[in-house]
Amino acid sequence: MSNKHKYQDIFIKSLSINNNKFNENIKYNEIPEWDSIGHMTLMSGLEEGFGITMDTDDIVDFSSFKKGIEILKKYKVF
Amino acid sequence: MPTDETEQIKNIKSFAFQVRKNILEMAVSAGADSAHFGGALSIVEIVSTLFACQMKIDKKNPNWEERDRFILSKGHACLAYYAALCEVGYISKEELKTFEKNDTNLLGHPVINKNLGIDFSNGSLGMGLSLGIGVAISSKKKKKNFNVYVVVGDGECNEGSIWEAAMAAPNFKLDNLYVIIDKNNFQQTGSNKEIMNVENLKDKWSSFGWYTDELDGHNIKDLHNFFKESKNINKPKTIIANTVKGKGFSFSENNNEWHHSVLSKSFHEKALKELMEK
Amino acid sequence: MNINERNIKIWSTIGARATLGIAALELAKEIDNLMVLTCDVSTSAGLDRFKKTYPEKYLDLGIAEQNMIGVAAGLASENFNVITTTFAPFQTMRCCEQIKVNLAYMGQKICMVGIASGLALGTLGYTHCCIEDVGTLRSIPGMTIISPADSLETVKALETAVKLKNPSYLRLTGSSNNPIVYNKDYEFEIGKSITLREGKDITIFSSGAMVYQSLEAAKILESKKISSKVVNMHTIKPIDKLAIEKACDTSFIVSVEEHNVIGGLGSAISEYKSSLKQSPRQLFLGIKDTYTKGGNYKFLKEKHRLTPEKIVEDILLDIKQNK
Repeated sequence: MSNKHKYQDIFIKSLSINNNKFNENIKYNEIPEWDSIGHMTLMSGLEEGFGITMDTDDIVDFSSFKKGIEILKKYKVF
Repeated sequence: MPTDETEQIKNIKSFAFQVRKNILEMAVSAGADSAHFGGALSIVEIVSTLFACQMKIDKKNPNWEERDRFILSKGHACLAYYAALCEVGYISKEELKTFEKNDTNLLGHPVINKNLGIDFSNGSLGMGLSLGIGVAISSKKKKKNFNVYVVVGDGECNEGSIWEAAMAAPNFKLDNLYVIIDKNNFQQTGSNKEIMNVENLKDKWSSFGWYTDELDGHNIKDLHNFFKESKNINKPKTIIANTVKGKGFSFSENNNEWHHSVLSKSFHEKALKELMEK
Repeated sequence: MNINERNIKIWSTIGARATLGIAALELAKEIDNLMVLTCDVSTSAGLDRFKKTYPEKYLDLGIAEQNMIGVAAGLASENFNVITTTFAPFQTMRCCEQIKVNLAYMGQKICMVGIASGLALGTLGYTHCCIEDVGTLRSIPGMTIISPADSLETVKALETAVKLKNPSYLRLTGSSNNPIVYNKDYEFEIGKSITLREGKDITIFSSGAMVYQSLEAAKILESKKISSKVVNMHTIKPIDKLAIEKACDTSFIVSVEEHNVIGGLGSAISEYKSSLKQSPRQLFLGIKDTYTKGGNYKFLKEKHRLTPEKIVEDILLDIKQNK
């Protein structure tokens, strides 16, 4: 599985959303599942899935699926 | 202190600028420990008017017996308080950097430290006004001439203990007691309207026996005038200060996400840029 | 609740407070007359989802804890099943008399949850830490007091407490990335402690976030040839008397708590222990009746000697001094 696929997969699993609810434009607090609890679950899922530990600033700035891709480049995920 | 009013206003504005700058530095250095950013920014002009002009203080001696006392009843707004104490000269810029660090004197709520000019410990909401009454009474009993200024939050007015104190102060004829209510319309998890509405604060405080006025809490001239004009009124005084939570930065104004949050480096840069451009 | 490995891990990551929010959502499905009351802390208690999903089961009383308890008791008197929550010091001490009169004396049953108890909020100072809640509430008759050891135990404790007929207080300690004590489902019964590790030399009684620290301390003691029993005394009131009697088979009892050594778990144990004909001496580990300068959670645990290494040091020193 490519990292992009894995990234999408982690999003869907961590936020417990249906495949058809997912799209690449999703943003923090714009869907009920991605609230503060969802966010912590997602961050944990990403850290575990990619074997990384994210800086607090990155966790705070991680505001959308697309922004996340930018941030994860720093951790050599993409 | 300049007696010319224009000069005084100018000084307060300059003080307020430095207070905002100090708040940014403390918040970014707090990092992951977060900071109560929004509720500190809403009281910048209030604390600046008090510390740069209104309050009788000795910049060389935080323990001067005749000093006016300040109580930050909404203790979580301490970023503004510490920033102001730094501009007065009681807290060094170096010490400000220790905000929320281990073993610091400057925690996320004020802890009494008279050498730094922090006269009281606060943080559990609703307790500061009662303290203020005690201090104001002692000023009269000791025949000293100092005033007491208490900053209270609007959400804080949910607490019953505020109203016990509000009822008591006029009974003791405490004309040396000032309450400034930071009416920024928000509390921790939402607006006052959403959580617990505190409408008609002016009528409420007036009916309890306080000389009350409502004004723009970011208008230094209005704040300054209130203190000048209410000086000889024989009652405790309240300002209902209409403010903006997170005032001063485009991303934080009226955005309750900034009640208690992390100021990341990117937001710090953005904020500094906006501040310098003003 | 779906108790499986994945959820246990998630709950551990998000911490006990956010787990409370998830547990409340599940309870609302089963308990028709459930009401959850807070004091402007929905986000801090993980209750944002609950608030959106079940607005009719949620009441926010604003920053007014005494009022919250009164309102909760009024609802309980009309047969609502009520959970209240706010930060631990405000949940217990700010409204202590309302708790006494409305819950204990009048007999209205609610389940109170104190979030971020102990030292977790140390950077905000001791107004927001709570090292006195157990001591404060223990002296109120009829109050059940539970201190869950991890996020899973928080779920089990809440599920159990809402079925009680008397008032209760759940004390949530730890922060996010809450260490896992229980990695699978288990039997939880109020008043019945759980022996997590057998040992024959000393018995360590603990509760809340200190259970994990005590288990780690026991491993270190093992390497020093001291065999330690570790008991999770999740229910501090009513205390498990049988467990204390059994501990008398070991030569030394240690109590470890993220609370003042006066009034909490250690005191509760020693009260019963001293009524026994013969019992071993007890070492009280916890906060030594003082407010210190603040700092982050890790820093404060070190300062108050509540890390596995420091717990071991203090136990070894005590053994040496009492040879």
